[in-house]
Amino acid sequence: MIDTTESETQYAVPDFAPPAELPELQPFWDATARGELAFPRCPDCARWHWYPGPACPCGTATEPQWQPVAGTGVIHTFSRVHRAFLPSGSPVPYVVALVDIDDAPGVRLVTNLVGPGADDPRIGQPVVLSPTELATHTLPTFALAEDRTTRESAPS
Amino acid sequence: MTRTAAIAGVGESEFGRSVDRPITHLVTDACRAALADADITPADVDGVVTAAAHPGPDDVCAALGITRTFTGAPGIPAGAGPLAAVEVARAAVESGRATTVLVYYGYAGSKPGGPYGFHAQDPVKASYEMPFGWYGQPVYFAAWAHRYCHVYGVDPDELGSVAVANRVWAALTPGAQRPAPLSAEQYLESPMIAEPLRAADCCLITDGAGAVVVTTVERARDLPGAPVLVAGSSTVAVGPPMTSFFTQNADLCSFGSAVSGPRAFAEAGLGPADIDVAEIYDCFSISQAVQFEDLGFCGRGEAFAFHAEGHTQPGGRLPVNTHGGHLAYAYIPGIVHVIEAVRQLRGIRGPAQVDGAATALVAALAGGEHSTLILTEDR
Repeated sequence: MIDTTESETQYAVPDFAPPAELPELQPFWDATARGELAFPRCPDCARWHWYPGPACPCGTATEPQWQPVAGTGVIHTFSRVHRAFLPSGSPVPYVVALVDIDDAPGVRLVTNLVGPGADDPRIGQPVVLSPTELATHTLPTFALAEDRTTRESAPS
Repeated sequence: MTRTAAIAGVGESEFGRSVDRPITHLVTDACRAALADADITPADVDGVVTAAAHPGPDDVCAALGITRTFTGAPGIPAGAGPLAAVEVARAAVESGRATTVLVYYGYAGSKPGGPYGFHAQDPVKASYEMPFGWYGQPVYFAAWAHRYCHVYGVDPDELGSVAVANRVWAALTPGAQRPAPLSAEQYLESPMIAEPLRAADCCLITDGAGAVVVTTVERARDLPGAPVLVAGSSTVAVGPPMTSFFTQNADLCSFGSAVSGPRAFAEAGLGPADIDVAEIYDCFSISQAVQFEDLGFCGRGEAFAFHAEGHTQPGGRLPVNTHGGHLAYAYIPGIVHVIEAVRQLRGIRGPAQVDGAATALVAALAGGEHSTLILTEDR
């Protein structure tokens, strides 16, 4: 039986500050602090890279460059987590998801789902960037898009 | 003349949820047990291979009195690592670099860091994944399991068939950490950890160690125990590296078993239908099921139904994880699966013995790295 009424449950998000400033990830967190999303892309072959790597396998000598994206995507998969394994602990349940980013094919972002309906999402639903500001950092969380019609995620 | 490698002895240390002894001692015990099982002494060993970061071969050889002229380390962590170590030992024996190689692996799951610490030590995971609570292997495999259920239309409640089946074998196995049977109804009462995975879908936490002696088949035939041949083996890597594998691998419904399995089968001249018993890395129920499909034992999306029909249980078409696996026997990753396959092929498993077991497959993953071994009776 599927309950079709929308729950008012507002799930929490983990509050775990990135423990160290990692140079290769700093542009990611800098972008999220501005409320944006950015990923590295090879300027020569245009391939997106995630996670950041030192070089593109296409063989170019030019390092991948960070490039902003629109902040929309599709839920590839998710889990409602009932037991937090984080050393800091965390309120549970929270919803962790992998989101295929629309305009960066091949990039699957780890994120948390927030806002209306986030406690009961569906694989294939479109999502939009909806950052959550925490005391120490801004988390690039996502909310369900207004149109919840599922679609297949971008091919990777 | 080419040399053929055989397993001549296997051994385990004392193991359990929390063993109050240093891992170095447990590894030493396991090695002594394997040497005794092979009926050889440390002086007979000239090579050591391990996938364990700690203790290293220096400590182990010092403790046992081994003088080595060959040392190998596949550089692959838990899961596939101990299987890959057997393959390295095999390669050393078959190439003539060594004559008798001791393979060991120890795991202290209850100690600080535990099973999750391995990933927390990765700075990229700590700085990018952990802030979202993408942490703890149950979370990774839950997301994979959810994708699997979506792609193949499997009801999450059906996932219980793997845990139920493995528990049947554990009940027949002395020393198993979870020897009590699990009914399908009890599975649905098991606490949810990360949907759709319940506690019963997750492997045990274990402190313990295992060891395997690999030598030439000629030498093994002169020893009292029945030799077990390494008829096929393959260790491969697919997809992204460990750091990003669980979030970025293109297909969340397949592991490297789709590549290592066919390679190991081809070398052994066998196929899935020829295997009598399979020991498949079950860090979670979903990993056992996905590798089972990758290896060609059933069609895509059918593994949980195959288990539910009882085919992997005693008397079934293909017994799987005949000691209870990592879900119910012990989580000394990979190595206890190798040991169980050897025991089955030697016909010494008592009530859990698979009648006439002559061929065994062992498979395990470590992120995108994957190793498959095909072991047979001496023939």
